[in-house]
Amino acid sequence: MSTCPERIVEQMHEYLDGEISAAHEKELKAHLETCTACQKHMHELSKTIAFVKSASHVTAPEGFKDRVVARLPKEKKYNGVQR
Amino acid sequence: MDALVNKRVKQVLKGDYDAFTEIVELYQDKLYQVCYRMLGNRHEAEDIAQEAFVRAYINIHTFDQKRKFSTWLYRIATNLCIDRIRKKKPDYYLDAEVRGTEGLTLYSQVAADEELPEEELMKMELQDRVQYEIGRLPDKYRSVIVLKYIEELPLLEISEILDLPLGTVKTRIHRGREALRKQLSNL
Repeated sequence: MSTCPERIVEQMHEYLDGEISAAHEKELKAHLETCTACQKHMHELSKTIAFVKSASHVTAPEGFKDRVVARLPKEKKYNGVQR
Repeated sequence: MDALVNKRVKQVLKGDYDAFTEIVELYQDKLYQVCYRMLGNRHEAEDIAQEAFVRAYINIHTFDQKRKFSTWLYRIATNLCIDRIRKKKPDYYLDAEVRGTEGLTLYSQVAADEELPEEELMKMELQDRVQYEIGRLPDKYRSVIVLKYIEELPLLEISEILDLPLGTVKTRIHRGREALRKQLSNL
């Protein structure tokens, strides 16, 4: 893969960001058809994204809101000072 | 949602304290999640997410109502997380002296520059592994990866949250993906 142009990896990232131009996409696809090392690289990047996205959603713990409210300064700070 | 939030912000500015609790309710899961994924520790995540809300409350008069409230809130939270990560670093060096004698039970506590042995990684549950790998990313990559792939925010919004040019955000996402790819090469 060391012989592959650097722009191929850049194009992979453009593709992953959904911002690849038609010309770049054409070049990337043609290159991937002939280069197994870049194919592997592309595949690993896609797997990486899927891996991060597999993180389950976490929610604030029970009672979070009340604990925030308890930490808020109680004095009325905003009377007539702000726009 | 934005219209509702702006209404609540105006109420808070007029001194309506309760309106702020509604804002907390609307955003608590999002902020907690960002903090948790950035810090890798539930206790710290709660502390920092709470602190972010407190600061938002105190500084709400500085919020520009023409902008998106969630962007502003995310910015407060990510800044606090990054500060916390940077402050934490020296502790790791202190910990390093005792490490190895007790064994690690919390993977999320492992310093970014320390790698667990292969056999440990294999035993790890998927969710622990995801958090561990995110935690190993340098903080400038971690924040963009978390905002993009966990919070699923558009690049433009990420650039506003982190106050970075769009081009820098893209570069960091690219590098973050490459760093993760290398970390995961044994997966």
